[in-house]
Amino acid sequence: MAPLQKRALLSLLIGLAFAIALIVVLLLEGDVTAFNRDETLRWITYAALIGVPLTYLILIDLSLRKPTQLDERDRLIILKSGRVQWLAVIFSLAAWVIALTEIYQEQRQVPVVFLTLIMISTLIISILAQSLGILLGYWRMNRNG
Amino acid sequence: MGRIKNRIRRLRFDHDEMTQEELANRVGCTRQTVIALEQNKYVPSIELAFRVAKAFGVPLEEVFQYEDSQGG
Repeated sequence: MAPLQKRALLSLLIGLAFAIALIVVLLLEGDVTAFNRDETLRWITYAALIGVPLTYLILIDLSLRKPTQLDERDRLIILKSGRVQWLAVIFSLAAWVIALTEIYQEQRQVPVVFLTLIMISTLIISILAQSLGILLGYWRMNRNG
Repeated sequence: MGRIKNRIRRLRFDHDEMTQEELANRVGCTRQTVIALEQNKYVPSIELAFRVAKAFGVPLEEVFQYEDSQGG
């Protein structure tokens, strides 16, 4: 496994852990407006908001500087992973728009908490998708050349 | 369409069985990229190709060959 491939896998697992933690807490609370009254939920969200990009920065950006750790082939894979990333972000935003429009159509207003949830989900999805894109890039290159 | 092949594996053995790690350090890439090159799974940039040739002390065309699949 290339160093970048290992980091991408680790980044994917950490991002998934944050996402699962957030979903589990939201499911246990049963209502997203719990964000306003539940301090634990807020802290998990803030931790994810800072932790996920920080993890990405440390694992992928800062620690792979030497040419023997990150070379032109890895950079090409990172570049191509951007396609998976933006597709995932666009689809997740589309899902938010459709879901919120359908759920809150009659009320004609959406709870403010969704701004934070949209932000955090987009951030997590963006980083998960890039890690996934990197792993897919290696898989494709090893398969097809 | 053509295909670029290389003799990196052969050249490594001809150079005192140079390891993939050693070649990677000399040319400034990861060992995994050397493996991908040897398996013809990755076509390097011109710069990396020249660095590989330089590491073996041979001209570029002795390392990389272009094979035209249409026979031209």
